[in-house]
Amino acid sequence: MSDQTDLLQMFKVVAERVDKKSFADVTRESVITDLGVDSLSMMQIVGEMETELDLQIPDEDLVEIVTVGDLCTKIESRMEA
Amino acid sequence: MPRNTPRRRIEEKLYGTYMEFFEKAERERRWSVFDDIPWDEANPEASEDLAICAETFASVEMFLPDYTAGGLNVVRDYFGRAWFQANWGYEESKHSLALGEWLVRSGKRSKDEWFDLQENLLQARQWVPPFTTARQMTAYGMIQEQATFLIYIKHRERARLENDACLMKIYDYVARDERAHSKFYQDVMKVLLAEDRDGTLADIAHVLAHFKMPGVELVPDYDDRILKMRDAGIDRNVFIRKIYLPVLKYLGVSRHEMLAAQRKAIESQQAGQSSGQSATQAAE
Repeated sequence: MSDQTDLLQMFKVVAERVDKKSFADVTRESVITDLGVDSLSMMQIVGEMETELDLQIPDEDLVEIVTVGDLCTKIESRMEA
Repeated sequence: MPRNTPRRRIEEKLYGTYMEFFEKAERERRWSVFDDIPWDEANPEASEDLAICAETFASVEMFLPDYTAGGLNVVRDYFGRAWFQANWGYEESKHSLALGEWLVRSGKRSKDEWFDLQENLLQARQWVPPFTTARQMTAYGMIQEQATFLIYIKHRERARLENDACLMKIYDYVARDERAHSKFYQDVMKVLLAEDRDGTLADIAHVLAHFKMPGVELVPDYDDRILKMRDAGIDRNVFIRKIYLPVLKYLGVSRHEMLAAQRKAIESQQAGQSSGQSATQAAE
């Protein structure tokens, strides 16, 4: 399984835990607001993923995240750094 | 009466916070509905959408009797916060007054329509404080006033685009007041964090998890009105960029510290629910 798939899978698991609903059909192209995820849940999902991966996305990058893929890309770039 | 208590320490600090706020308000921020608004620059040709937005804000501000009564009752034992609440009520009273006057003077609403609205609103509904403690209400005020400030700033721009210098000026003053109120609440939260960090963080997390703007349950047809206001509202990015992150930064709280508090709040809520369920099952 590639890193990309891993992160997408991790997003689904964390989002389900935070928002208590299924995110099974989510793809990297999914727009986060279209998934019914509000600002605070979004901050929680990002925070949970950061904790699990032991990294931190800079605050200024958070507002650039529109799709699930954007979030995965931000995380990937921190993993490579 | 013992003087060296945490409560006394907090009260002395908050008295200073209030005096600083009040001095600035008295010296730099006072404005008059009669002398400082260019009423003759209201644009009668401005759109109905602009009027609906102003009417919606005026409607939300109209519940001032409930806000002041509810707010004061929660903080009546705390001098600095109670006196702030009294001053807050005076400042907020000018907001609905100015917006209502604009609706009538611009010709967007008749006097009868304006009075009908007042009667319908206050007789049909009542605002109930969404939280029960002074600290939770302060956290609520901190977020709500900051959000309101940003909404009024956006509407000031909308009034400018519709060549209504009068409404623009009203939004200008109102936004400035809201910003000052949020700043006061943030300063109070800083004092409370210094005294009891875990408890205060838990309250902020609780408030964030249950936060709703007051208009949602107060204004009739709110859902229809919000459609007209959507492009001038607050989306996820604005909330994160201009409310959540700056407020946390000002308070000296990291995202991860807040996240940990949110987790604890959820766990304790779930524990409360399950113990509530057990109690119900036992009763059955």
